[in-house]
Amino acid sequence: MKRLALDELKGEGQPGRFAGTLMNSSGELVTRVCQGDPEAFRLIFERYSRPVIGFIYDMVSDRELAEELTQETFVRAYRGIRGMNRETKLSTWLFGIARNVARESLRARARASRHVDLEDKSVLDLSDNEPVPVERLLSKELNELIRLALNALDEDKRVVFTLKVFHQCSYEEIAGITGFSLAKLKTDLHRARAEMRRRIKPYAGVGYEV
Amino acid sequence: MKCELCLELLEEYLDGELAERVSSEVAAHLVTCSRCLTESSVLAAEEEMFSRYDRELEVPASLWGQIAERTVVTQLPKNGFGARFVSLFRVPSFGFALATAVALIVIGLVVGSTYIRSRKSDPKHTTVIGAPTPSSVASRKDEQQQNDVTRPANVFASHDKSKTRRSPAPKRTPIDQSDVLSSDFGYQDPDDKDTAKHIEQTQNLLRSIRNVQVNDGDHEIDVTYDKALSRRLLNENIVLRRDAEMKAKFPTKSLLSDLEPFLIDIANLPDQARPEDIRAIKERVQKTEIVAALIGY
Repeated sequence: MKRLALDELKGEGQPGRFAGTLMNSSGELVTRVCQGDPEAFRLIFERYSRPVIGFIYDMVSDRELAEELTQETFVRAYRGIRGMNRETKLSTWLFGIARNVARESLRARARASRHVDLEDKSVLDLSDNEPVPVERLLSKELNELIRLALNALDEDKRVVFTLKVFHQCSYEEIAGITGFSLAKLKTDLHRARAEMRRRIKPYAGVGYEV
Repeated sequence: MKCELCLELLEEYLDGELAERVSSEVAAHLVTCSRCLTESSVLAAEEEMFSRYDRELEVPASLWGQIAERTVVTQLPKNGFGARFVSLFRVPSFGFALATAVALIVIGLVVGSTYIRSRKSDPKHTTVIGAPTPSSVASRKDEQQQNDVTRPANVFASHDKSKTRRSPAPKRTPIDQSDVLSSDFGYQDPDDKDTAKHIEQTQNLLRSIRNVQVNDGDHEIDVTYDKALSRRLLNENIVLRRDAEMKAKFPTKSLLSDLEPFLIDIANLPDQARPEDIRAIKERVQKTEIVAALIGY
């Protein structure tokens, strides 16, 4: 999933697997959408839907909700594309919308159920396990481990960590998406990595230390 | 470079975010310092572990359809008064509330003025196309609804006024509506002509899809033309449906709403459609008897 998303992101403007998608640069697609070409927007969706749904899922940790919010992200993108700054990368702009949509949803959810302590849950769910080398963890277990650890991060750290580690965004892109200063971003990313390490290490102990 | 500084810069170094000169210094230090190299390896192993994170998440096939329904298919022609007018109704802009208020006021004024005119006018000069006598209003209403294909609404006169009848004429202009209730508006509205034309074209499209011969040996069926036509009709359909809703023409709105799923399905077919896709649409057209409903309009 991640590799696929990355391939798609890195493939802007280059010929590749989805010929129909990649024959057009993002800038050209945006221009075509602004000129009223509906096919161009479909191509944008094809190119970015995977990374966007993955990012939103990392933020909300709920499949159905991630689908709904991805839909909302692309609808908002379509409505706002004429006002998009052409100097901004399309992926950065879309991630920015996705982040806002996810944040609104998280806040609405937080208001609905006042406080869910994800940190406790993440520890409880895995506390019976002995430390196992990462190599021996089944991929499902590893996925669950990472998902729970990610959930336990606060929102700012989670968004920075996800964009850097899973989506390979540069610091500059992350700052563009989140609006954070470079200093805050670096601090959040460092702390997020430390927290992730602290949460995963007890369950992936031996092999973790290379 | 000291270890303390190297460790501080290590994450940025691995993220590829350091300036070239600093990055070279860190690299040089790592060659000579086993402690920092170990720390670097741990961080690299972490990255490798996270790269294996698989959300097992797929983009659902239906997602684009849902987005298209809210975006691309609602796109209107860029030019013309109609497009500009309807674009005011796009949510969630502030223009929506304003435009709705304006539209309601306009509708209210038109209906009100018609009603006042109908009360003030002289019954002797009343001219109504196809107006029924009071005694036959009810029966003709049903009859007209079933038989009148070209006209979308019935014309009624109030019971306490005399009426004269003129043979139906194709021209519309010099009609005195003084004795006509507001429900007659559908006839005089030029949009109805557009709706009728649209429905006729949609009917032809659905018939052509229904009549496609799908043979067992077929691998693909070329539906390029039908698809393009369907996209155009879909745009039209959305505009007309909204228009019908605005003008409270609910039967028309309902019929147009029923059409939309068919148009979306055809519009979303690939140029070379699979026989089973065509068969599925054909079956739905037959099952829902949508063509018959269109003829009834």
